[in-house]
Amino acid sequence: MAEDQVKVDAIIVGGGPAGLAAAHVLASNGLEVIVVERGEYCGSKNVGGLLYGTVLNKLIPNFWEEAPIERSVVRRQIYFLGQKEHVSLDFGSREWGDAPYNYTFTVHRSQFDRWFAGKAEEAGASLLEGMVVDDLVYEGEGAGRKAIGVKIRGEEDAFLADVILLCDGANSLVTKRAVQTLGMHEGGRDQHYAVGIKEIIKLPAATIEDRFLLEPGQGAAVDFIGVPFDGVIGGGFMYTEKDTISLGFAGKIESLVKNELRPRDVMDRFKQHPLVSKYIRGGELVEYSAHMIPEGGFSCVPQLAGNGVMICGDAAGLVNMSLYKEGTNHAMESGMLAAETVLKAKEAGDYSRQTLRFYEEKMYASVAMADLEKYKLLPEILDTTPEVLSAYPQRVNRLLIDYFTVKPDETKKAIQKEAIRTFFRGLPKLKFARDMIKARKLM
Amino acid sequence: MSDDLLTMTLQDKLYRTKYEPDTDHPHIEVDNAICAGCVGQPCVLLCPAEVYKPNPNDAKQIMVSHDNCLECGTCIQVCPHDSVKWAFPDGAMGVKYRFG
Repeated sequence: MAEDQVKVDAIIVGGGPAGLAAAHVLASNGLEVIVVERGEYCGSKNVGGLLYGTVLNKLIPNFWEEAPIERSVVRRQIYFLGQKEHVSLDFGSREWGDAPYNYTFTVHRSQFDRWFAGKAEEAGASLLEGMVVDDLVYEGEGAGRKAIGVKIRGEEDAFLADVILLCDGANSLVTKRAVQTLGMHEGGRDQHYAVGIKEIIKLPAATIEDRFLLEPGQGAAVDFIGVPFDGVIGGGFMYTEKDTISLGFAGKIESLVKNELRPRDVMDRFKQHPLVSKYIRGGELVEYSAHMIPEGGFSCVPQLAGNGVMICGDAAGLVNMSLYKEGTNHAMESGMLAAETVLKAKEAGDYSRQTLRFYEEKMYASVAMADLEKYKLLPEILDTTPEVLSAYPQRVNRLLIDYFTVKPDETKKAIQKEAIRTFFRGLPKLKFARDMIKARKLM
Repeated sequence: MSDDLLTMTLQDKLYRTKYEPDTDHPHIEVDNAICAGCVGQPCVLLCPAEVYKPNPNDAKQIMVSHDNCLECGTCIQVCPHDSVKWAFPDGAMGVKYRFG
């Protein structure tokens, strides 16, 4: 090893929620840790959804008092959009407006991640921002091959470490290469992805509060399925921040290809829906973004530990794509558990898969993996029963509209009877019953 | 340029997103010998930022506008022939979200 070559306890590839949580734990325990982030600052390549904060609250108690939170979510809503009609389920609690805010927040990731990076730095981690890791550096051959460092673009010498945490997100080129090189093939099926598009629309805070029936500081999270997403396995979302609304959708890539749908057209169709457009009218677009989401869930979680490496967060596919849409929280939990494993490995003086498997054990006993397991069948159900996202809600929609349609010279009894008859017309009852049983697994 | 929120074009939208362009160092390359035989060209369909476009002189050839890239990686997933060679842009270059 050249004299000026850097060697530390751990190098973390990617300064997102997983990597920064790991860095925070490691640095707090006195280890030398470097986070390499390819963006100019942490968060500059990230696109967010809701932030669930149960794990972050363990790392940084009452983080909401200092983190750049936009709003706490006190109100949630699920819309089904028909061609002309709509149905929604709207719920919330005033309790969610008080600490701990149901641990559900909206944030701008470029600001939130930068804050989190600052906390990791305060704890003693070193951040190398604006640096690209192109590959890992290895030693040994065959089953004994292990990662010993990273190759940073433009740097002649490798940066060396006892262990590398791969936290490079959804578009995880470094992880994919490492999995190949180390032969980490014990994991699940091939990952598949959704592509998400999001528009950030600026509006005065008071306008947002009026439109969403909110007190200052409180926010809403709205999910959408239905007609704008015909042919798409996925749906839309709308979140309120202080003086912006995030409007977007995510759809499974294969479904878009199969039905020859351009994601940007789907986005426009969604935005132009008469109900949606009223929420954002008068607003100004301030950012257009796109990101992938690994959506294979439990069955696609790869082998998480190899010789000298552990995989965390989106790179490990730890996303719950049910209505909860939880990713950052699971990323932080995996980062924490990987960091705890590093502490154990350091004590043992061994960073081979044998020792790092402890991380896999911890993960499979974690809340994150229990949640992913609960929704294990979700991708398959949506693939095989697309009716649950379109035809069935459409029928419920029709039923309600027909039930409340006012017609001269017709009795309520006749109208209701006809509405119920329409609901069941052409409905394969046995399949419907079976599908409803399956659909329970989505909730 | 259109300011109308509901009808603005993709170029108008991308104009609102901040980039650190690295015009002389494309981080994406396609092998047009492969793309010429591709049916459907799903990269053209799926890219949220219109990075991939058929060449107006020869629709079988793909033109790549890497400066538009939002770095989502969808093209890598969707290319059926491994024709898309995609590397991260240099450090701090490329898309730079202010909100995210």
